[in-house]
Amino acid sequence: MKRIEVKLSLPVVAPLLDVIKKAADELQGGLAVPLGTDVDHDLVEVWNAELLAMQNDGVAQLLAMFDSEFFETGMIAFDEENAESILRACAALRLHLRARYLQTFDDESLEIGDMDPDELPEALRMPFMCYVFLATIQELIIQNLDSEILGE
Amino acid sequence: MFSCGGQIVDRADCAADRSQDRMPCELRDAERVVYCAIVTTTLSTTQPQHDVHTELAHAGVYRVVVLNDPVNLMSYVVLVFKKVFGFDEQTARKHMLEVHEQGRSVVWVGLREKAEAYAFTLHGWHLTAIVEPDEKN
Repeated sequence: MKRIEVKLSLPVVAPLLDVIKKAADELQGGLAVPLGTDVDHDLVEVWNAELLAMQNDGVAQLLAMFDSEFFETGMIAFDEENAESILRACAALRLHLRARYLQTFDDESLEIGDMDPDELPEALRMPFMCYVFLATIQELIIQNLDSEILGE
Repeated sequence: MFSCGGQIVDRADCAADRSQDRMPCELRDAERVVYCAIVTTTLSTTQPQHDVHTELAHAGVYRVVVLNDPVNLMSYVVLVFKKVFGFDEQTARKHMLEVHEQGRSVVWVGLREKAEAYAFTLHGWHLTAIVEPDEKN
């Protein structure tokens, strides 16, 4: 089984985890991408429940990576068992961070991601750093474990 | 497929279906049975029960459309398209770029039930996907 281990800088990442945890808590009761009005009325409730359960499972898996061992070693690991869930969880949390904290940014600025966090107001700095951090995790997984996710 | 001018009714609700003088034209879609025009005529002369209602909204061809969002990474969207639809890299990238540049891309066309299943799966990946009637069909 292919496995990638990443050593993160504890002083940099640890403060981000509080913001990620807060975002995860906020997200617990609703979908990161709410269902549209096109969804059949009879399906909405079932879909919501199933998608929310899936979303919460993924976010829980992501948060579980940052356990006591992480705080000792700074290491996190991805493999074919957790890659897909973590990837989805990062997407959900990024969508929530964007909607909840980063609305003042235009799309292009966020897409390019060339803003200097030190120049951002305090209230935006940490959410923005989390947003970038979660994207980095996604990139790592996609670059290294795409074959495992695709079942190739 | 549904050009025979027929009606689609839920089999369980269809009083007409219980009668022997009906001729289903055997176009089946899930639990629904499509009746040809000749059957429609018969239905209209035999005072169909009130609860036999047409569900034309479920007939025909539907498309799954992925809408742009400013958050998900391009590489992520490509991966999801490959995973969900089995696209090759080139096709997945083409659809991703359509979403990115035009705001939407039709990623699948077919029967409603399957279109809804794809939309559900895409929602599970946190992409914004809608199902809409395919006006070309």
